[in-house]
Amino acid sequence: MIVQRLLCAFLVSSIFSAPASAQNLSGREIMEQVEESQRATSDSAFNRMQLSTCRFGIKDNRITCAERPRIKSLESVAKNYGDDGKDTKSVTIVQEPAAERGVGMLSFSYDDTHRDNETWLYLSALGRVKRIASGNSDDDAEPASVFGSEFTTEDTDTGKLEEYKINVLEDATESGREVWKIELIPNAERARKSRYSKTINYVDKERFVVLRVEMFDQYDNEIKRLLASRVELVNDVWMARSLTMMNLVSNRLSNMAFLEIYTDVGVEDEFLTTRTLTDVAFRETELEKLRQQVD
Amino acid sequence: MEKLLISLSDAFAQVPNRVLRYRHFVLSGLIVVSSLMVWGIFTRTELDMTTDSFLNQEDPSMLALNEYRRQFGSDDSVFLVYRARDGDVFSRESLSAIQQLTDDLRYWQQLRPSDYPDTINGIDLDFNELNHVRRVQSIANLRFQENQGDTLLSNRLVPERLPESDDELAAIKALALNQQDYLLAFYSADARYGAVMIQTDFGAQPIEDYKPAVNATDVVLDDSFIDFDAFSADETFDLEFDESAQIQEVSFEPVDMLGYTNFHVVTKALYEKYGEQFEFFPVGNPPMMEFMMETLTQMQVLGLVMVLIFTLLLYVLFRSFSAVLWPMATIAASMTWTWGFTVWLGVTISQMIGLTVLLVFAVGIADCVHVMSAYFSFRREGHDHYDALSKAYGKTGLAIMVTTITTMAGVLALTTSELVPIQVFGMMSAFGVVMAFFFTLVLLPILLDLWHPGAPGADDASLADRLGDRWSSLSTRTKTVAALTYVITLYSMLGPWVGSYITVISLLTYIVVNWQVAILSSVPSFVARSPWLVLSMFAGLFVICSYGMTLIRIDSNMTELTKEGSAIRVAYETVDENMAGAMSMVIMVDTHTSDGLYNPRLMQAMDQLQSRIETRYSDQVTRTNSLANIVKDTYQIMSDDDPAYYRVPDDDQMISQLLYLFNSANPEDRRALVSDDFSRSHISLNIYNAGSYQYQRFFEEISREIDEVFGPLDSEFPDLEVYLTGSMALLMRMADEVANSQFSSFTFAMAVISVIMIVTLGSFQGGIMAMIPNMIPALLGFGLMGILGIALDTDTLLIAPLIIGIAVDDTIHFMTHYRVELIRTGSISESLVSTIRDVGQAVMFTTMVLGLGFALLSFSDYLGMAKMGFFGSAAIFVALLCDLFLIPAMIIIFKPTFGVKDADTRIYFREKMA
Repeated sequence: MIVQRLLCAFLVSSIFSAPASAQNLSGREIMEQVEESQRATSDSAFNRMQLSTCRFGIKDNRITCAERPRIKSLESVAKNYGDDGKDTKSVTIVQEPAAERGVGMLSFSYDDTHRDNETWLYLSALGRVKRIASGNSDDDAEPASVFGSEFTTEDTDTGKLEEYKINVLEDATESGREVWKIELIPNAERARKSRYSKTINYVDKERFVVLRVEMFDQYDNEIKRLLASRVELVNDVWMARSLTMMNLVSNRLSNMAFLEIYTDVGVEDEFLTTRTLTDVAFRETELEKLRQQVD
Repeated sequence: MEKLLISLSDAFAQVPNRVLRYRHFVLSGLIVVSSLMVWGIFTRTELDMTTDSFLNQEDPSMLALNEYRRQFGSDDSVFLVYRARDGDVFSRESLSAIQQLTDDLRYWQQLRPSDYPDTINGIDLDFNELNHVRRVQSIANLRFQENQGDTLLSNRLVPERLPESDDELAAIKALALNQQDYLLAFYSADARYGAVMIQTDFGAQPIEDYKPAVNATDVVLDDSFIDFDAFSADETFDLEFDESAQIQEVSFEPVDMLGYTNFHVVTKALYEKYGEQFEFFPVGNPPMMEFMMETLTQMQVLGLVMVLIFTLLLYVLFRSFSAVLWPMATIAASMTWTWGFTVWLGVTISQMIGLTVLLVFAVGIADCVHVMSAYFSFRREGHDHYDALSKAYGKTGLAIMVTTITTMAGVLALTTSELVPIQVFGMMSAFGVVMAFFFTLVLLPILLDLWHPGAPGADDASLADRLGDRWSSLSTRTKTVAALTYVITLYSMLGPWVGSYITVISLLTYIVVNWQVAILSSVPSFVARSPWLVLSMFAGLFVICSYGMTLIRIDSNMTELTKEGSAIRVAYETVDENMAGAMSMVIMVDTHTSDGLYNPRLMQAMDQLQSRIETRYSDQVTRTNSLANIVKDTYQIMSDDDPAYYRVPDDDQMISQLLYLFNSANPEDRRALVSDDFSRSHISLNIYNAGSYQYQRFFEEISREIDEVFGPLDSEFPDLEVYLTGSMALLMRMADEVANSQFSSFTFAMAVISVIMIVTLGSFQGGIMAMIPNMIPALLGFGLMGILGIALDTDTLLIAPLIIGIAVDDTIHFMTHYRVELIRTGSISESLVSTIRDVGQAVMFTTMVLGLGFALLSFSDYLGMAKMGFFGSAAIFVALLCDLFLIPAMIIIFKPTFGVKDADTRIYFREKMA
């Protein structure tokens, strides 16, 4: 779920977009294009990723971890449902650290705003599954951390573009690529849920990948910065396989590395049930099938 | 020695002539330097009013608190307690009002400032201050967890749309009162009180010009972040790290009184809109600082009134406006140089500069009054202006010098304090006292030369003289009627307290103005008639006060520093009575081991410490909270709400997984309770407000409990550190430090004064004798407080030595003058008579001006100030009694000769007076 959204929000763009007319696009059109191409990639995906968190420092002009990073490695499987494939079911299992191995989450998210999202949590040490529900709409839900990292649910869920005022600020260069700097300012409604007063997104003009995001607080100071690297073509889609979120105040960063990304794999519906959480043998068998597909 | 004293006196007598000879040179020099100082004051003054500035940054408590803040951030919040006027915070009206208020606070950007007042208490409302609000919690948005079958529900306690039926509302109330986690934190057990918790970012906001180091050009992400191809599918990817990398340390914006105040007035505007439904009791730093700010404003008013009283008294006593203007000019110059010199040295000043002003004011007035009193009496005796000026300086110069040295010694002792602002205060005050002396010597003669009243009886008698004469010519009946009208008007206009105060001032002034000569001349014979009676009365006073001293309690209680019934005090009392205590404290737990907090034995120790504290110290602690509570709660909830699982499990894997959900909290919130690597965390305690004395003992006991509970973990965690910290602990540390530094300052001052008295008076016996009247005013102040059961708080303690120093000054004048007279005349009786006559008047005047002036401070809403005003003023008046009665009695009884050979020790002024 969360990881899937993370993928969607940042790294994906379709090469099928039309770069020729790109120069005349409005900010909203650019962001729409970035978003539109995401949907195709979240379907039937299997990922293995690793989240590393550390205090960072600067050594020889390079940003690097200044302490041994804390690592979580995760596996996730997702599949889209519904008429336009706008509902998503996903399962995420923790592999590392050892103390949390087997902890899993199953989540159904629905496009229909009247329908509450559903989440099941499995704690392997306790051997129990719990369905977790926030009885009311999550209008006042505060941004939560993604697996204790610097990524928050707000970073992964950009929300609806209608909720933002979008301005193209200027053309620039980022990591040697031509980009637009696009400013997203939340409207009053969106601002209620947001920790950021605005974000500035650096979108690759050719590949429609977001290469950098700057997040600002209420005093208009940049408090967080996301850097996307290793932009690669995966299944005909441009995606960044390494995302680094830096907290510029606490000087901590979290790096999300997509060690393996596979889209368009055949995921059985049975896999996206609570059985995957509780039944280790079943889970391993199914995951093995997925691996074989991609190999 | 005697020769030295005489020649010093003669030298001082020469000062006015010398100064006047070079007056143009002196005056222009003073003006140039003063301009430089004024320029410095306006351009270079750096004022630091933060609490943190008080302790040396290397102090262990400061290090502990900084360590805590670096890890867990700001804990500044407003705890806004409210009482529902309809008696039920769960009534429909109360609930919808609190929903509205919670929304207002959270989404203030959508409010219209035009719906609110422009200013509150003269402070402009700035809605942008609400940016400091980080989070708002109240009944309106609390959620509770509930097990329903295999589902863990997290519902709002109060739904956004309130239910239609009253039964449903009653059900909500019953449910809420069952939530132990929220009871007392968000509503009282009887549901009459509720609370809104407003968390802020004060102290955790990066300084304005903070630039992240990664913004520098050429800084790029290390390649290791993308270098994960080398890892096979079964392996994890180990990100490289380099411990020598430079980590940027963020400095946070310091918060001062004004910052808190500006924030709190806007918050107040928001909540006061709901004043019809609720009565509010805000506690926490912002409301506390707003109160302090109001006190400061009130102090400014009191200060102005004090100057007014000084002015009136000086005018009435000396019957010349020059006696008002010139001391003020002298004091202003002294203060300008003191302040200017300090800022030119690049020293940061604190709010304690207020005390320096007070001290320089008092010392300056005393210096000037002594000189002027002597000058005026010489003029009355028929000396011409220059002669009177010279004689006045000859008579008072030496004593002023001695008082300057003793007062300076007293305040210099403060520089040994570990609190930086107190050190600065000590230095500045010492310099200020010297400046007052300097300007009394070089500026006052020039000013008195510019304008001085004519000889008595001359045609140009001042307005005061003429008014006085006219008053004297009235009939007794008219006088009585006028006096009664005056008193009744005072009482009806100013109320009983201020009315009495002004009446006393008027009465005293009237007596002194009319009968000072009579009083002073009858004193020697009065004392000589029964010296032993006088002595035994003072001895009795001494004994009672000494006994009182043994009862004194040094104790600072934040709310007891404010008047009974004052808003802030009522707020703290209400919170203590109805909700969890208004104060908080933290116990830092640092394992120095990654994932150390997953250790079940450590977590159990934390839990054990909490339950020990909660059961053993239930009179001081209301609630405790830590990671252990989260583990226990989650364990029970995940185990189908079985109460048997409300405990810390014995398995670290279990703990780690139970904390999984918590780890998904907002990073800031999670980091506010536990460090990223789970090596350090803290236990927070809600405590009732109490005095520093009680806290200090409580802290010691808690430290013992910590040692007992965590001791057995030594082998497993050799580097384990568990200690008390938090702003509260820091405040108490400061209170302790103030008490210590004041005690040593006081002792040191007494020692220095004794030595100086021994030297000036030329004999050991004389020195010791002089110390007794010097000590009585101090003893009286402290002794009275002890007997009346009034605690000596840090603020009073800080000011006490100043007041005592001022009280002592008069005694020094008295003794010094007596000694010089004894050397000159060789007769005890003659010296005593002339001393009482000459110094008596000045001593009486300074006592009137300073004693009555300081008494005004008793009306401050801030009891720290009020106490010192009242007891200080009492000490000053007692010093006068000592000078006029005790010293003569002792001289008559013990006949000290102060080393003057062949002194005439016969007592014969009974005849002489007759």
